[in-house]
Amino acid sequence: MNEPLLKPTCESDLVDAIASCEHVVAIGNRTKPAMSPGSGVTLVSLSAMTGIIEYEPSEFTFTARSGTRIDEVRDVLSERNQYLPFDPMLVDAGATLGGTVASGLSGPGRFRFGGVRDFIIGCVFVSGDGKVIRSGGKVVKNAAGFDIPKLMVGSLGRLGVMTELTFKVFPKPLSTLTLSVACESYTQLIDRIQQAASSRWELDAIDARPNELKVLLRIAGPQEANQAIASEITSRWTGDVSELESCEAFWHSVTELTFAPHRSHVVKVPTASTVFSSLDHHVSAAGNVTWIATDDVTDLDAKLTKLGVPGLVVRGEWSASIVGKIHTSHMSRNIKTAMEPHGRFPG
Amino acid sequence: MSSTASDHRLAGLRKLFPVQRFVNDKASRSAFESDGLTAFRAKPLAVVIPETADEVIAAVRWCFDNDVPFVARGSGTSLSGGSLPVADGIVIALNRMNRILKLDPESRTAVVEPGVVNLKVSQAAAPHGLYFSPDPSSQSVCTIGGNVAFNSGGAHCLKYGMTSNHVLGIKAVTATGEVVTIGSTSTESVGPDYTGLFCGNEGLFGIAIEITLRLLPKPEVFHTVLVGYDSLRAAGDAVSAVIDSGLLPGAMEIMDALSIEAAEAAVKCDYPRGAAAVLIVELEGPREKIAFEREQLSRVIAATKPVVEMVAKDDEERMRIWKGRKSVFSAVGRLSPDFLVQDGVVPRKRLGEALVAIEKLSRDSGIRIANVFHAGDGNLHPLILFDGNVDGMLHRAEAVAAELSRLCIAMGGSITGEHGVGMEKRDFLPHMFDENTVDMFDRLRRAFDPKMIANPGKMFPGTEAPALAMTGLHPLEKAGVIQRE
Repeated sequence: MNEPLLKPTCESDLVDAIASCEHVVAIGNRTKPAMSPGSGVTLVSLSAMTGIIEYEPSEFTFTARSGTRIDEVRDVLSERNQYLPFDPMLVDAGATLGGTVASGLSGPGRFRFGGVRDFIIGCVFVSGDGKVIRSGGKVVKNAAGFDIPKLMVGSLGRLGVMTELTFKVFPKPLSTLTLSVACESYTQLIDRIQQAASSRWELDAIDARPNELKVLLRIAGPQEANQAIASEITSRWTGDVSELESCEAFWHSVTELTFAPHRSHVVKVPTASTVFSSLDHHVSAAGNVTWIATDDVTDLDAKLTKLGVPGLVVRGEWSASIVGKIHTSHMSRNIKTAMEPHGRFPG
Repeated sequence: MSSTASDHRLAGLRKLFPVQRFVNDKASRSAFESDGLTAFRAKPLAVVIPETADEVIAAVRWCFDNDVPFVARGSGTSLSGGSLPVADGIVIALNRMNRILKLDPESRTAVVEPGVVNLKVSQAAAPHGLYFSPDPSSQSVCTIGGNVAFNSGGAHCLKYGMTSNHVLGIKAVTATGEVVTIGSTSTESVGPDYTGLFCGNEGLFGIAIEITLRLLPKPEVFHTVLVGYDSLRAAGDAVSAVIDSGLLPGAMEIMDALSIEAAEAAVKCDYPRGAAAVLIVELEGPREKIAFEREQLSRVIAATKPVVEMVAKDDEERMRIWKGRKSVFSAVGRLSPDFLVQDGVVPRKRLGEALVAIEKLSRDSGIRIANVFHAGDGNLHPLILFDGNVDGMLHRAEAVAAELSRLCIAMGGSITGEHGVGMEKRDFLPHMFDENTVDMFDRLRRAFDPKMIANPGKMFPGTEAPALAMTGLHPLEKAGVIQRE
């Protein structure tokens, strides 16, 4: 990596950095390298702009600088039995808050209460023309102004460079329990995902391994309640259900993407809950996300293009962050121009 | 503009609609001259009533080509003047765009037109054990298109979030006439969250013509508790105690003595007599979980020194508790000929402080204020009572409302939790956001609407406002169909 690298330590340094460079790509800890290709750009690292600024447990909110590592946030929230319910990804790999928002990644927990988009409530960022914008707010309910914090989710740093983020958090469940449900066929797997998602059980996560014909159900709440719900699921699908002993390791392998072969690229593909394919490696959020591990991104790109859907290259280096079918419109181009009129954030 | 000149100008638009769905006679225009905020009135040039997406698109393109402003409108329940017409513009009335195009229980989604009434979605989803979570108190009449435009809320926002958290995709016609499809049927997406941005645009970006909604399984059981306190502050402190205990209730609502009095007189809801405030807490979920949590809630409540506690034993008692809460806004009509409702938000820990300040404001101004609020998320709904027949009273009430907006900003909150900025609070937008941010809002608005023809005069300060008129209960409010919250 030979690109010029700037490391601002405060907001005004960041403004200067952006104003002084022709093309800028913001990076955190680069846990998702395909999202910050370096060729012909100046990299601006947010790694010196870290730290939790405010944490109000009684408000269910915190504000932190965007370079803050998620594991730091997790540990601080945990002291008050709170958490980010969408299961941020690549936490142990070093993911930052800013990178999590820019990539728009949510883990298995997004099924129950929503993803990163549903928990971000405020965002301070520097626009392409060097203005500091303070959008959203610090209260959990707020309808004032346009919802720019949500727009930043998935923006890959191409609309602005985030410096400070405010999130809603929730009380952490008292305990969790995970069931593994073996299925006889692909049809039964789909059917069980749907039954689980529409059930009275209010499950915390519903994931699946289509290639292994296995559905994984996470139950969260008081231990006795979890056991009672697990008993009902077990008796409904007699013989096919077992409690996962190494459940923490299993969910960790999903959020850290270590379930995929070591050298594979891993691509996130939004899906409808009834449409998977033989490409599937891990399906999350009751079928709304498919994680595809591949050694041949070119081939996957072609397949996704044919299907008319986009994919996000989350693990592994690649020349483009988005593969497959990318939809653009006058609207999306106009929004980018509004946010960064000088074209400083390439892509 | 003379009627002949306006007829000539509108000739092209008229050709796009059958005669009965293009109206510009005086009586018809009067029917659309205000929304739920009746303090503002303006007659549009004409009203068109599309029945298809193509007709909406054609109307917007005609407006763009002819530089004519337009305002999209559903049931007109906006409480911030958000669907107030523009005097030289067109109203695009979407009530007939009211089809549920697809309801898919397998993917737990519904694709609807913008004129579908909120409650109808849950009714259609009910046979599949599903429902649409956002429930503004006007849900029996307000439309999904309006909910999207204002990112509406309701009593359940703390746990489930606002409308945008339940909108997966939108097909919209922007103010330039471009048709865009954003989001999808998945809860996940790749690229910037345009759907999230579109929600809450207050009609300034364009018109949603198809909306994909996320449906949730209906909670299996509810546990509803009504607790009386001898002071508002004690009720506010109890909210923090519940939150600090690790519980996540579906709803937490507080009513003050004046609100209790109004509700009791209106619907005889059997609330505890003599309480200075009541707190309603509702837990919901699987029966095994609620069996545990109800014990936990009971212990927390006992420690807050309540004067009385009532637990709903069955659905009938639960509905009576909610009937009292939901009736307050129409019930205060018995206490006062007119009222304004504010919608500010304060950090939850400052609720007690905010209520003390509101009481002082009421004393100092000599204007009675009743308080009902979504306590779980700090969303205040002070009802500012006044008599519009008394000279100057409306302006005094408005001064109190403005003071309340300032109070919420000063406490680190927001000027609106669910009603939007609209016409009512547009002067306060620059108080809440700095110049760079308001400028960025404007740049985004122009990205969708370079000619500024989509709902002009709203959200941003500085444009001419229609004359203030006498206020009064909205006809639907008088009928008890909607509430101002």
